[in-house]
Amino acid sequence: MARSETARADTDDVGGDGEEFDPIGTLTLIGIYFVILVLAWVYIYFVEFLGRDLVVVG
Amino acid sequence: MHIHAYEKLWLALSIVLILALIGTVTYGAVGPGVAMVADSQSTIDPAALDEDERFSEPRVEQVGENEYEAYVVARQFGFQPDPIVVPANSTVTFYVTSADVIHGFEVVGTSANTMVVPGEVSEITVETDEPTEYGIVCNEYCGAGHHVMQGKLHVVSQSQFENRGGDSA
Ligand SMILES: [Cu+2]
Repeated sequence: MARSETARADTDDVGGDGEEFDPIGTLTLIGIYFVILVLAWVYIYFVEFLGRDLVVVG
Repeated sequence: MHIHAYEKLWLALSIVLILALIGTVTYGAVGPGVAMVADSQSTIDPAALDEDERFSEPRVEQVGENEYEAYVVARQFGFQPDPIVVPANSTVTFYVTSADVIHGFEVVGTSANTMVVPGEVSEITVETDEPTEYGIVCNEYCGAGHHVMQGKLHVVSQSQFENRGGDSA
């Protein structure tokens, strides 16, 4: 594993920014998770928590 | 060192997420003024609440313009006063203590929620809105009657509050 990666990096990565391994599916999936996480946080904090009656202020 | 472009993105978004979480909580504290229940009150003898100035007679008192204090005693298995009557559109500070074991004081469906520990006084300040009625539950197991331990919080109009006729305790 390590040997083959080294070998490929030696040969393929010379050209500069071109990545030899682009897991676009994983990136998309993580992106979707990220959006769900942000929306859930906004909903939980601003709508459910701050939107409740009798917010404790002291 | 070579870092994959996606990994750089991942690191950046992680930092954004951390800053956003800290940012929203900071906004909550600075904007709406959300506060934690602090350990600000001195201790009290739970066996001598009947000699205490605040808790011998659980009640709601006006302490300033539009500012009220509610002295509440939780005991097996109820809350005093019952109901707790407070005026609408005002600032109310609850001082809650226990006469026996650990109880909870949760105004149902709201953020007003604290533990009630014998010997300690839990202090929470809230702002009331329109007249309404809330239930209060004990959310710490406190004995055989825990499941029936409940109270009421009535938010009434200012005029109704002034005409409530003496003490609601
Ligand atoms: Cu209880």
